[in-house]
Amino acid sequence: MSAPKEFEVVGKRLNRLDGEGKVTGAAVYASDFTLPGMLHGKILRSPHAHARIVRIDTSAARKMPGVRAVVTGASQKLNRFGNFIKDFEVFANERVYHVGQPVAGIAADSEYAAEQALRAIEVEYAELPAVFDVMEALDKAAPLVHPDWQSLKAAPIIVREGNRCSRTVIKVGDVEEGFRNSYRVYEHVFRTSPVHAGYTEPRVAVAQWTASDQATVWCNTQLLFDTQSTLAEIFGIPPSHIRVIVPGIGGGFGGKLRLGMEHYAMALARAAKRPVRVMSSSEEELTAALFRQPATIELKTGVDRDGRILAKEGRIVVDAGACSGSGPLVASTGTMILAGPYRLPNANLEGISVYTNNHPNGSIRAPSGPMPNFATESQMDMIAEDLGLDPLELRLRNILREGDIAVNGQKMTAVGLEECLDKAATAIGWDLRKPGPNRGKGLACGWWMTSRGSSGSYLKLMQDGTLTMMVGVVEMGTGALTGAAQVVAEEMGMKLTDINVVSADSLTTPYDFGSQGSRTMFAVANASREAARDLLEKMRTRAAKALGTDEQALVMRDKAFWSDEKKITFAEIAAQANTAGGGLIAEATYIAPAVEHDASRVQNHFSPAWPSPSFHVHATDLSVDEVLGEVTINRYVVAQDVGYAINPTYLEGQLEGGAVQGVGQALSEEIIIANGHVKNGNLTDYKMPTAMDVPKIEVILVTHPSVAGPYGAKGVGEPPTIQPPAAVANAVAAACGKRIMHLPITAEKILLG
Amino acid sequence: MSAVARARKEDTSAEGSFSLALSVNGNERELLVEPHESLAEVLRNRLDLRGTKIGCNSGECGACTVVLDGSAVCSCVTLACTVPGSHVTTIEGLERDGVLDRLQEAFVEHGGFQCGFCTSGMIMSAHALLSQTKHPTEDEIRVALQGNVCRCTGYAQILQAVRAAAAGA
Ligand code: FES
Ligand code: FES
Repeated sequence: MSAPKEFEVVGKRLNRLDGEGKVTGAAVYASDFTLPGMLHGKILRSPHAHARIVRIDTSAARKMPGVRAVVTGASQKLNRFGNFIKDFEVFANERVYHVGQPVAGIAADSEYAAEQALRAIEVEYAELPAVFDVMEALDKAAPLVHPDWQSLKAAPIIVREGNRCSRTVIKVGDVEEGFRNSYRVYEHVFRTSPVHAGYTEPRVAVAQWTASDQATVWCNTQLLFDTQSTLAEIFGIPPSHIRVIVPGIGGGFGGKLRLGMEHYAMALARAAKRPVRVMSSSEEELTAALFRQPATIELKTGVDRDGRILAKEGRIVVDAGACSGSGPLVASTGTMILAGPYRLPNANLEGISVYTNNHPNGSIRAPSGPMPNFATESQMDMIAEDLGLDPLELRLRNILREGDIAVNGQKMTAVGLEECLDKAATAIGWDLRKPGPNRGKGLACGWWMTSRGSSGSYLKLMQDGTLTMMVGVVEMGTGALTGAAQVVAEEMGMKLTDINVVSADSLTTPYDFGSQGSRTMFAVANASREAARDLLEKMRTRAAKALGTDEQALVMRDKAFWSDEKKITFAEIAAQANTAGGGLIAEATYIAPAVEHDASRVQNHFSPAWPSPSFHVHATDLSVDEVLGEVTINRYVVAQDVGYAINPTYLEGQLEGGAVQGVGQALSEEIIIANGHVKNGNLTDYKMPTAMDVPKIEVILVTHPSVAGPYGAKGVGEPPTIQPPAAVANAVAAACGKRIMHLPITAEKILLG
Repeated sequence: MSAVARARKEDTSAEGSFSLALSVNGNERELLVEPHESLAEVLRNRLDLRGTKIGCNSGECGACTVVLDGSAVCSCVTLACTVPGSHVTTIEGLERDGVLDRLQEAFVEHGGFQCGFCTSGMIMSAHALLSQTKHPTEDEIRVALQGNVCRCTGYAQILQAVRAAAAGA
């Protein structure tokens, strides 16, 4: 756990830079932001899963008190959008294809007035046949969610056919041959349910048009630049004409990657010629946000007598909902999780996403992680049980180790998986797997990537000798920017508090791929470190000149350059540069190096190679109430190969939070949908873990440094949500013999299953 | 007429119809509110105390927790007109002469938040607890915080922060 070398700032448990504002209430979040003359917008949503819009009459609504603008699909020309397929409309035009689809918007003097006026809009619908089950949707006879699917623009990687909106394949060797040579072959089907990202601040946006083709949007997106370009596409104006600012964000977890309220606020603000704020209500959050896709996972695995996997065939079928959203990405990346961190001589893995008339879904923390991991890791335990093997031993016989070739043909390096397994098993007391009646232990392992994508960093030396770091990324709360600032401070010989962070303004900060994919600190710190080195060089040159000495003779100490007794401080260098040298700035950009893989093994894969992969093992000890079926987690251990811990406090916090989020998906969280209608659209019936429910999460940091990572760090944010469902399912099976194959693992399923 | 003045005039809800007097963070306040306005809305929109957050706006997440006459309440489901004459403490009222309260210190020190959106409410719930119970047990802390949802932290560092603040009392 120790750093290869002691550093002054990195590796230390220093307090985060944005801490004080958050405990005093001074920090401004997007939902706190207002403008003079600002109106409030509300959205009218479809009550039908599939219907033709016969008529919309907004005349009565327009006359309601306080109403300033009403917008429908017919009133503004707004282009379709979508990250992979242009299948989203801002407001429905001819048809609605899911419950909750926006049909009209109203801007009024108050939220109350807007809400009242919504009721005065008359919409006549003619219902059409709908499909809600992915398997039914794949049937040729099923109604098409988008009868015009062929004319919807799509990224070249997308392979479509009717309701199937994407398909990815990984193929290695010959699975049939592998199955023929197997001692046993196991076939199982697993299912998962949709869950909400659970961020505490609802999605919100304030939009203001500053010219007929220029607007500013204050919102809580995780992705400034993707939001900017998507809005530009919708409104048909250049991206640079849209300024996106995130004042502060109350959680995201992937649920704020795609447009939230920004497009509605912009459309209403344009119509009303006034700034408009649109905030999602908690009911809208739980019925009309972008959920984690439900999935069906079919697995067929053949093993030899010793439990070594000889062949694996698997398919993850992702319910994209009525618009593809992140479905294609989730299905694609899901194939890597179907493989798992195991050696597979033969594999045939497929990921498809499917349109249904359910609500469209998004990219929740480790978007394709928990569903296929639940299936794969559950099945590993089922295989172990059948073969009479210890599940830990079965994994040790199959895991990837240093130098192994993964399913995509990528050579594995810095593989901390075995150490994670050893440490997690030891910590949970694996030797005693059934410590008592109705009590058992389970574990699950997994892998994930550190996503690529560019980050930029501008640095400027300030007159007082401190440094300002400007980055185009959003601090979601993970402490990513404090971590990046620690790296910069280390490089510059400064204190962490000498770094001023400016972030998340698309106009003034450099391009960034955004707060996603476990990459934020990784990429921003790498870019900023490079910029810091450049800045330091420039400062050294000036210092040498000022002190009349050689650059090599200078020693940097206490924010000054020294030559014997003479010194020039950073503040003096800045002052000199500002008055006589045009200031001191530096900049750098970073993108993780591409990783080699075997392209012949993958088809239409979104992430065919995994940069700086991370490895993780979760283990839990739980009890199942014999009568009530209720699960109580006694202990929970997370062992994660993080490469290097830049700030252990915030790293542990992320792993704890992620594990608890995953335990929520394992045991209690489920958006219950029937015929396209959400049945539990409130936080009482949608059960996120509270302080009463959570065990202490015991975190073990394993450090096999990544060559590309800052100080060896790997991406850490998403992985802890991946393993909890499988770890819990395996422990439940160990405790009471019930194997639950459909998430969440409720008391009802345990008792009746 | 300035844009601000025009907005005020057009905003039908800006001028309240119900007179309300209460003490907020030790200051006596008198203002006009609408009967449907929640305490959270009054604090945020009329008194500019935006440290109190609105998450669910339905009494289910605790982001809006303030201390009302000594007890932690969800200000989003407390109608302002029902609490005349009460004493309200918000997150802005904890600092004393620029010095952070021990809970605020402890939350910073122990990583008791990430995004921080739940933090005002979390600290106010803990504040109500520590005002009544000097040395709470682990269970008492968890019970006091059970109405405050945090998605970021998994609660461990929050509980640690409250324990530390209680121990330092
Ligand atoms: S905002 Fe009041 S309880 Fe959620
Ligand atoms: S810190 Fe983000 S919800 Fe608690």
